[in-house]
Amino acid sequence: MIPKNIILSENKKELTLEYEVKKSVMSAEFLRVNSPSAEVKGHSPAQKKTVSGKRGISINSIELVGNYAIKLIFDDGHSTGIYTWQYLQELFMGKDKIWKEYISELRKKGLYRD
Amino acid sequence: MSDVKTLAIEKLKLLNPEYPELIEAIVVANKKIYLSLKTDKTKIDIFTRIKLQIEKELSAIDGIDSVSVSLTSHSESMQSKADTRAVTSGISEVRNIISVASGKGGVGKSTISINLAVAINQLGFSVGLLDADVYGPSIPKLVGDRQKPKKSKAGKILPIQKYNISLMSIGFLVPEDSPMIWRGPMVITAVSQMLNDVEWGQLDYLIVDMPPGTGDVQLTMAQRVPMSGAVIVSTPQDLALIDAIKGIEMFKKVNVPILGMIENMSTFICPNCKNESHIFGFEGAKVEAKNQNVDFLGDIPLEIDLRECSDNGKPIMLSKTDSTVSKKFLEIAKLVKSKIEDNSNSEKPNIIIN
Repeated sequence: MIPKNIILSENKKELTLEYEVKKSVMSAEFLRVNSPSAEVKGHSPAQKKTVSGKRGISINSIELVGNYAIKLIFDDGHSTGIYTWQYLQELFMGKDKIWKEYISELRKKGLYRD
Repeated sequence: MSDVKTLAIEKLKLLNPEYPELIEAIVVANKKIYLSLKTDKTKIDIFTRIKLQIEKELSAIDGIDSVSVSLTSHSESMQSKADTRAVTSGISEVRNIISVASGKGGVGKSTISINLAVAINQLGFSVGLLDADVYGPSIPKLVGDRQKPKKSKAGKILPIQKYNISLMSIGFLVPEDSPMIWRGPMVITAVSQMLNDVEWGQLDYLIVDMPPGTGDVQLTMAQRVPMSGAVIVSTPQDLALIDAIKGIEMFKKVNVPILGMIENMSTFICPNCKNESHIFGFEGAKVEAKNQNVDFLGDIPLEIDLRECSDNGKPIMLSKTDSTVSKKFLEIAKLVKSKIEDNSNSEKPNIIIN
């Protein structure tokens, strides 16, 4: 549940979580567009925003929040996403599906990753 | 008293019709008016002037000795900064933070906290105790001390040193009979200050005596304070146990390990006939700990000695060292210590930024 190591890649575009036996790797863009912040998720599914134009975004810093989460600070100034261990795991487990949905959502709304 | 309050607000209105809107809290106690004003941080000069003006005006009220106006800032950037920042700075040299919590009030959480603090100290560790129960601070009474804390050279508050424990409580800072009429965010600010702005120094253990309940304040604290573990106190009574379970759930939600449950007021042995009565039920907390899959740390009986020592301001751990209760506290302290040591390696993740 709680990762042992949280590693930010040298180019700051990839986050690796190392657990006891497994490892998960996610891109900064993927984490940014799926930020659990109310700015992105809203307060109900209907309020969810589609974040676009985040290709190539990087993570400036990582802070521990209590014992249950990390806060990621992105270079576009977004800093209100508190990623719980649970949420990070859910994101990684559903990575492909969530990404596909994101891409089709972008298309539907006429938005782009760039 | 409320007349003074109304009068004060009227006076503010006369000074400037907008002033009453700035009032965040106003308390009248012991011939003193405590007023806190919402402040715009960018206009601090103006507000300093307003503060002086108000203090002068209100101290003219009959029967008022002094007026203390504090300026509080809640500009958006300030608040979001305070909200997300982990509460760490004043406790950077504290190795382990243990919270003592209960869902229900009045189960003896503060009595357990102070005696546990003394017991851990007797095992050879440096210990601090933070009384986070802002609405009903009991620690000053339990240690029989109400001296005002001093400030260090760096401007930080120095904890009160008593019985070899570093202590801090809102009770050291305000008069005993003045109630804290505060909303949640102010309580959280006060508790953050007692963590950050107090020079705790190097401590092996900091015990946090949590406010009773599982509301906003408790949840925020559990989330933001990097706790090594939580101890849940309950009486064997169903009514208290229901709330204790809520406490366990709350800590589990934010990944604070539950060190175990302590059953307080477990049994009463009549000093005359030596007959044992289970006033609040038999082994309720022990059974519930098993149901909840948490450890049972021990039981403390309902004893006149314990009550008397607490009321006299000298913990039973120090005044009746040979009593059964003191021995039980020592056993509990040993368990807590070994559980913390078992947990300490596996918990915190390393953040590696290349």
